[in-house]
Amino acid sequence: MSRESGTATAEATPIHAQVSNLRPRDLLSKEDCLEMFRQVYLARYFDVRLIKEKKRGRLKGTLYSSHNQEAILVGALFGLKPTDWISPIHRDMPAFFLKDLRGDWNRPDRIGMSIEEVCAQVWGRVDSPGRARDNWSHIGSRSKKIIHSTSMLAGTIPVAAGLMYADRLNGGDAVCITFNGEGSTAQGIFHEAINYAAVHKLPVVTVVENNQWAYGTPFELGCATPDVADRAKGFGIPGLIADGQDVFDVYDKVMMAVEHARSGKGPSIVECKTFRAYGHGDHDDDRANKYRPQEEIIAGRARDPIGVCRQTLLDLGYISAAEATTYHAEGKNASEATNEDFPPEVVDYLNAGIEFALQSPLPAAEEGAMWVFKENN
Amino acid sequence: MSAVANTPTTGRKNYVTAIKEALFEEMERNPDMICQGEDIGILGGAFGATDGLLAKYGSDRVIDMPIAEACIVGSATGLALGGKTVMAEMQFIDFISCGFDQIVNMLATYHYRTAGEVNMPVVLRGPAGAYGGGALYHSQMNEAWFCNSPGLKVICPSTPYDAKGLLKGALRDGNPCLFFEIKELYRKREIEELLPEDDYTIPFGKAAIRHEGTDVTLVSYGQNVYHCIQAAAELEKLGVSAEVIDIRTLVPLDEDTIFTSIAKTNHLIVVNEAPMTCGFAGEIIARVAEKAFEYLDAPPIRITRLDTPVPWVKPLELFVLPSVEKIVQAALKSVKF
Ligand SMILES: Cc1ncc(C[n+]2csc(CCOP(=O)(O)OP(=O)(O)O)c2C)c(N)n1
Ligand SMILES: [Mg+2]
Repeated sequence: MSRESGTATAEATPIHAQVSNLRPRDLLSKEDCLEMFRQVYLARYFDVRLIKEKKRGRLKGTLYSSHNQEAILVGALFGLKPTDWISPIHRDMPAFFLKDLRGDWNRPDRIGMSIEEVCAQVWGRVDSPGRARDNWSHIGSRSKKIIHSTSMLAGTIPVAAGLMYADRLNGGDAVCITFNGEGSTAQGIFHEAINYAAVHKLPVVTVVENNQWAYGTPFELGCATPDVADRAKGFGIPGLIADGQDVFDVYDKVMMAVEHARSGKGPSIVECKTFRAYGHGDHDDDRANKYRPQEEIIAGRARDPIGVCRQTLLDLGYISAAEATTYHAEGKNASEATNEDFPPEVVDYLNAGIEFALQSPLPAAEEGAMWVFKENN
Repeated sequence: MSAVANTPTTGRKNYVTAIKEALFEEMERNPDMICQGEDIGILGGAFGATDGLLAKYGSDRVIDMPIAEACIVGSATGLALGGKTVMAEMQFIDFISCGFDQIVNMLATYHYRTAGEVNMPVVLRGPAGAYGGGALYHSQMNEAWFCNSPGLKVICPSTPYDAKGLLKGALRDGNPCLFFEIKELYRKREIEELLPEDDYTIPFGKAAIRHEGTDVTLVSYGQNVYHCIQAAAELEKLGVSAEVIDIRTLVPLDEDTIFTSIAKTNHLIVVNEAPMTCGFAGEIIARVAEKAFEYLDAPPIRITRLDTPVPWVKPLELFVLPSVEKIVQAALKSVKF
């Protein structure tokens, strides 16, 4: 599945790899690799659990599942510095709490959102970082270095570029990763913003989650090149392709792009090949089983990122065959998976977030008319 | 014409010079300010409003942008998120439509969406307005689109003094501002005036009375203010005393000055060069109808562009736009009602 787009990839090769032929992943410790595995489980559990919560009637609103795409989120975020910025979209809800998630997941000084904040947002409660003023993934935080998105697809890429321009003037060395679906790469602003970032060599890495579908529209009706990464050539920047099912391949390609950006060489596009497991949102689950042929769905979900990651860890000798069979989440839909399919710390972590959200109140109605303008008196 | 303070002055300045001075002074005052736009650096701006900025402040802070209005606005938003104050120029205000989504959905809502966490000190300014033969795409006044998008302040100065003071105020306001400059006034000799040497800003939401009168109130902004002043002179000859109010800022709007005036004159004409339907003249009349209806002795009248694009050749252009004559006729109709 993974294919590299020739010269472009070579340009993004980091210095250490040129000298030693090491891939970024080769510098990861065993603990790092196990942590990434745990995070893939966490992202999956978040998805599974929200679907269950909605089925139980405890949660309202549309869910945009990241099932089968978790390796992209974990792999892209794991190598970032805490001071780096991210800009997630609707498919990336776990990114908000996966940012800077290492060591103790409840570390208060973490530069990412807590699970409590994210759950308060999902449930539309006042403790959401945006005080529940917009729904789902439309939150952000300046202190946590997460760009506040709107619904408008690809709309944060120019914001990311301007922000990185400011960061450079301020003497920072931050990189910003923006996440986008393949369908969104047809937006004019995608092209305007990456072109501008390329002109100024701004450290913006555009991770494209090519899950083959944009709502009900297949990839080939939105893009005439075989790969989204091909678009990079038109901007004069590297375009890399990663196996979106493999957390370590995503990590490698994104880290190459991040190092390229941090060293002042400018933006890149990293296309991660994957497949959308369910409907566009859960309102679309039934129709998506009709407009997408069953064989395509089965093939697209055949390589579950949990299983792919586990196999790598087995091959590396980081887990034993016995440990590898403890949990069984891969290949299961939300309706089939149970808490026993996940490591207990993953379940506990989310439980705490949900409990917090459920007791957090709704914002006061008058807040609807507040903060239209910054008051100057 | 405007209330120039009693400070020492440096000679009469035109409108575009006032804009330029505001930009230089604010760039000097605020090291975190950035200017960006198409051709603003090397060329100095299509109308020269940014002439010399690049030489003085360098290419880090004065950025010649690709021809991509959405990106100009979106990256300005990102710069503001990164702590900068941004002046982003639209080469002609007509082209702002290409950046519309980034303005109304990204920039205008930022403070609201983040429950006040993030301020957006971004001023989008550009040359606007008709009467110059600019044809369909170099003549527009599209301010109403933005008045209808909560989160944006909308400003339209008619004099050099106002242009400078309001622009400096906008650059310090901390909210996204849409700043409509009247390109036909940029180099108009008749309106050149002395500007204070001292730093000054003009507060938003404070209208200026450009001509006092007792029989009819003419409310306007931008270029049409001058049509109203000329109409007031014509009306004077006909024995009608007109008061001319220049609102200066549309959002926020100084309702009080308008209400106070019609309490005296009991007649209202509102003039703007944007098309009539859903234009700002209608908004002013709606507010008067809601809050000051009892002051009126006659139905208020809108004098606006017809609901057409702005055509190119002179007779066509003048046919669709407000004129002194149309204002005079409306005022006479009103006082005779
Ligand atoms: C500018 C804009 N147009 C349309 C939509 C409606 N919409 C939301 S998601 C979506 C499909 C996005 O597909 P893709 O970019 O591939 O992301 P995916 O959902 O597959 O992760 C559409 C059409 C939108 N949110 N914004
Ligand atoms: Mg897609």
